[in-house]
Amino acid sequence: MAPKLPTSWAQLPPAFLLPDAFLPLIAKRGVKNGWSTAVPRSKPNRFNQQTAGLPTLTQSPAAALARKAYTLPLRTGALGIKKGMTAIYDPETGIRTACTVLQLDRLQVVAHKTRDKHGYYAVQVGAGWKHASNVPMALLGHFTGAGVSPKRHVAEFRVKDEKGLLGVGQSIEPDWFIEGQFVDARANCRGMGFEGGMKRWGFSGQGASHGNSKNHRTMGSSGGSQGSGSRVLPGKKMPGRMGGQQVTTQNVKVLKVDKEKGLVILSGCVAGPKGCIVKIQDAVKKPWPVIPEAVGTVKEALKATA
Amino acid sequence: MATATPTLRPLACWKSILRHSRQQKAITRSLTTLRAPERTAAPASRNSLPPVWQKLKVYPPPPSAAAASREPIKDFTNDQLRILDPTRARTNLFSKGNPEGAKVGDILLVRLKDGEPFAGVCINIRRRGVDTGILLRNQLTRVGVEMWYKIYSPNVEGIEVVQRKEKRARRARLTYMRKPKHDRGSVENIVYQYQRMKAGLRSKEDSNLGGKKKGKGRK
Repeated sequence: MAPKLPTSWAQLPPAFLLPDAFLPLIAKRGVKNGWSTAVPRSKPNRFNQQTAGLPTLTQSPAAALARKAYTLPLRTGALGIKKGMTAIYDPETGIRTACTVLQLDRLQVVAHKTRDKHGYYAVQVGAGWKHASNVPMALLGHFTGAGVSPKRHVAEFRVKDEKGLLGVGQSIEPDWFIEGQFVDARANCRGMGFEGGMKRWGFSGQGASHGNSKNHRTMGSSGGSQGSGSRVLPGKKMPGRMGGQQVTTQNVKVLKVDKEKGLVILSGCVAGPKGCIVKIQDAVKKPWPVIPEAVGTVKEALKATA
Repeated sequence: MATATPTLRPLACWKSILRHSRQQKAITRSLTTLRAPERTAAPASRNSLPPVWQKLKVYPPPPSAAAASREPIKDFTNDQLRILDPTRARTNLFSKGNPEGAKVGDILLVRLKDGEPFAGVCINIRRRGVDTGILLRNQLTRVGVEMWYKIYSPNVEGIEVVQRKEKRARRARLTYMRKPKHDRGSVENIVYQYQRMKAGLRSKEDSNLGGKKKGKGRK
């Protein structure tokens, strides 16, 4: 055991008689205080800078944003309400295309998420309208602070940087999307309820005959016995609640846009029942759409006159 | 069993006295450094918001495009039909309320923009707005053939009723016609007769089309 340092007041003259150098040294090394006498490395110093030859951190918020920068859309998306499906005929070729009709309803930007405050850039968008008496006070304050009416649906759209932050209170019309461009549409799919293994996971079911008794659609074995551990492995596919999860349909073409009726016509089908809310944003797997300058200038002109 | 060593104890009490005085010193120090809290202005954002007990201002919603079009699918369909069927001939032909319209069981002839015309017994009419289609059944070389046609498709040039069913079919879908017992067989002869009759009545242009059909029939 290390000898005890003299700490008793009785063994030394009073402190006011002693210079600082004679005062007892209190040990600052040890398991309790960490053995290293170096400056803690958590703070950036000249040794852990990029120039020090050390690899840059790949698990920092900044690194995460840099990784995502390639796939994050440059501008915000929109919230639509799925109204149903119909078809469009190309008058020249006569080709029929099944399409989904979405309606945008009083879309406005409610808030921004910024790198400084929240760690990422996103645009919070609200759609529809809700009576103020049905909105909690805190949420109402959120809407009032943004200068918009209370919204029925609120969603966030991540964007790459602050250039993609559309001004708070600005409304998003169907002509935000360009006819012919591609979008990603995401919605909560239709809920199927409690479903068996055949429908939920595509199990083959069991034989109709050969002595099968009242087990035609049940799942077979749920795993091996003693040699395999005599247990059901986590994640085993079994009957249960099916549907209701978010489904993203990538690269959906925008066939038509109708500003007067607030319609966006998408090619093909989109997950979810009629009346469900659908998030659409520029497709990440296609080149970003080229926004004609005219749209922006016309909008500005309209604003100036209004 | 009280111990009788009180005379030796007073020296030991020095420790506690010193400790006490040290604490006293700390207290006096903290008292002397007493300072008034800085009066910093509250953040502007807090002040700008009204107090909780006041009613928040509620902004009115912007004008809604959705309110202008409550049933967008219907509107969209009508817009499309105005382009695809400007005379509303097709709509009337297959409308439920039209007693003169085509019904299941009738023999229909569909003329296409590119390709041979197809005739057959209509065994199903699927009414779905712009997606409305008909299912025609016929026999070509004694093989049953069924074809779906979208009535508003730009590829469909015309739809003609060749022969009506004498008695109204009592089913919406005449799928029983697929059974050999009920199969009407080939409607080629009926269509041929119809086209000859029409050729006699109509202009030369129509007769040309009939001739084409005839040639195919005689093969």
